[in-house]
Amino acid sequence: MTIRHSLRLTALSAALTAGLTAPSWAQEDMVTRSRVGPADAPNSMSFRLTAFDLYAQDPKTRATFEALYLDMLKQFPGWKIDTQLQTNDIGQEQARMLEQARAGRGPDCAMIDSSSLGAYRAAGVLQPMNASFSKAEIDDLFPFVRKAVTDDQGNLLAYWWFTDLRVLYRDTRVVPEAPQTWAQAQAAGLASAKAGYEGLLFSGGRWEGTALDWLGNFWASGGDLVDAEGAPVFGLGENRAAFITALSYYADLVTSGASPARVASITNYDDFLAAAAAGSTAMFVGGSWQYEQLRGTLAPEDFAAWEVSELPGPSADAGATGAGGWTIGAMSDDPEKVKLCAAIAKLYAGPGNVAQGLLPTATAYYKASDVFSTPTNLAYSKFLEHGRPRPGVAIYPEIANQIEIAIGAVLSGGDPAEATDRAQQAAQSAYERL
Amino acid sequence: MSRAADPSRAGPWLWLGPALLVLGAIYLWPLLDAVRLAFTDATLLRAPTRVSLDAFAAVLSDPALPGILRVTGIFTAASVILLQALGLGIALLVHRGDRRGLPGMAALRALVLAAWVVPGIANGVIWQIVFSEAPFGGLNAVLAVVGLGPVAWLSDPALAMLSAIIANIWQGTAFSMILYYAALKGLDPALQEAAKVDGASALDRFALVTLPQLKGTILAGSVLVTIQTLGTFDSILALTGGGPGQATEVLSLYTYNTVFRGFDLSRGAVLALLLAALSLAAAALYALILRERR
Repeated sequence: MTIRHSLRLTALSAALTAGLTAPSWAQEDMVTRSRVGPADAPNSMSFRLTAFDLYAQDPKTRATFEALYLDMLKQFPGWKIDTQLQTNDIGQEQARMLEQARAGRGPDCAMIDSSSLGAYRAAGVLQPMNASFSKAEIDDLFPFVRKAVTDDQGNLLAYWWFTDLRVLYRDTRVVPEAPQTWAQAQAAGLASAKAGYEGLLFSGGRWEGTALDWLGNFWASGGDLVDAEGAPVFGLGENRAAFITALSYYADLVTSGASPARVASITNYDDFLAAAAAGSTAMFVGGSWQYEQLRGTLAPEDFAAWEVSELPGPSADAGATGAGGWTIGAMSDDPEKVKLCAAIAKLYAGPGNVAQGLLPTATAYYKASDVFSTPTNLAYSKFLEHGRPRPGVAIYPEIANQIEIAIGAVLSGGDPAEATDRAQQAAQSAYERL
Repeated sequence: MSRAADPSRAGPWLWLGPALLVLGAIYLWPLLDAVRLAFTDATLLRAPTRVSLDAFAAVLSDPALPGILRVTGIFTAASVILLQALGLGIALLVHRGDRRGLPGMAALRALVLAAWVVPGIANGVIWQIVFSEAPFGGLNAVLAVVGLGPVAWLSDPALAMLSAIIANIWQGTAFSMILYYAALKGLDPALQEAAKVDGASALDRFALVTLPQLKGTILAGSVLVTIQTLGTFDSILALTGGGPGQATEVLSLYTYNTVFRGFDLSRGAVLALLLAALSLAAAALYALILRERR
């Protein structure tokens, strides 16, 4: 049986189990808010996860993952999973979990945001999962993913199970052609504003999304955040010029009227969906996963008018986009728990991604399911050629914090050069103390 | 009963011991741990490696600190003044209503208290919806009906501070109201009656009879609300995240960011001690006031 058949069958059987059978009392008992598996199982592994799948609000998603988990647990008789939910405050949650792991009180297995992976690696709390992944499977990961999850000895320290990227959404009835350059984006924003829309929306408030969405502009300008040792250098030399240029792009969008001043207060992606649904915007910089959300939000005839394209760059041939996503890592030194943790990672990377339509990080999965061969997903896989992950270094969250402060400052009329120098100084000071 | 078995002979420690143990475990231990961490180079990524004053030096030489303290000062001062004024105003209203036997006073008290029980994060989220600057946003949509706005509630640095203060006041007014309401209930009505017989106007009675009697409550309430406001960060975190830029990043939120985004445990500990010192100064003032009243 090929991977393609296996994936299809697993996802299909999960969907059938979830959709065609009413949840029995037995199944409800096997999946509770804090456990998966039999309550009296002699062995247990703690797993800290987000609330978007097994405990999703959507009953269909929840039921699909319940079935997938129970199916997977059949390979581990005598085991149960003690589940612990993470809050939506990702930064705090990840930092607290790291502190617990360092003190030996962390979960055995956990979902780790790709932006925090560097800190977990630096703290040395991750256990290699090589026993469960072949060299071919590791080599099949996208290069930027493989680099982030393996160490110098080739150990797989976590499995990056899906990725995402930042793209430009536009209503083709208002903006027919995809802007390829910043100048075109500004012109399109101005034109849409003149037509009564808000202009180009993007995140400019104090949250991680602001930094990640903007980084594509910085990278496309030729900048690097850190040097080979992981020290922040974004405000030095040629990087400084790129940083100032990319900050000025955002500032110019607002001062020209191509974007509304309110972008400085946008701190979540839902604002874009709300604006699209209300018909108040015709363009926004959002996450790749929002395409399906947009489909669920808009009327079919309106949704048909929306398209995605790569983020515009300083020139048509210079483009880059921030790639995010989540990893699953083991923090227990018990080989059986590491094995179970790896099985969970494979569950998410395979049938889990099929069920949710998330972008896998290994080429084999794209060939394995038709879900990933839709025109949009194929376009995303092409955009990912310009995708760059956030640097896997412990100082990254502080760099992102400084980027958010700098963007907020220039959107409020501050000087981009001053904002750049303050950010570099603050990040360097924090780096020296890490 | 023998002398040895008489608990009253054991002195205050027998009675105070359990309370001191609980308070020590809950309040004193974390404070002592913060003091310990402040004199190390601890981060969230590794254990302390040495004892040093570097964290103090880093905080004192931090170019962002003066701005953070300025923001904290504005937020705290404005919140304390407005919380006290509104709390007193509502307490007077409810007290007067009670005395006149007006219906609905209990409902009014419950309404004010309802905001108090809302968690800080939820408070921030509620006001973020109200202050949304989208064309379909809460307050701006209402203003648009009467031809006003749109107002940049959260994207303009000065207005973002005003929005944070409003959110804080909405939640905290109940506490001041309770303090003043209790104090007003304890006032001797004979003084008011005597002033009325002497021909004092309502304003005179308030300024010359009621306010002097509330002096202790006003001072004590100011100190308590100051301490409470200094520690406020959750509602700001949800409302503005401290932005735009650092326009609403108060000291407690800055401490949070230092620890959870910069992973700098020792510098975070120093900032926490600075916050504790400011709160203790307010508490000391409170103690002085109480001594004076006695």
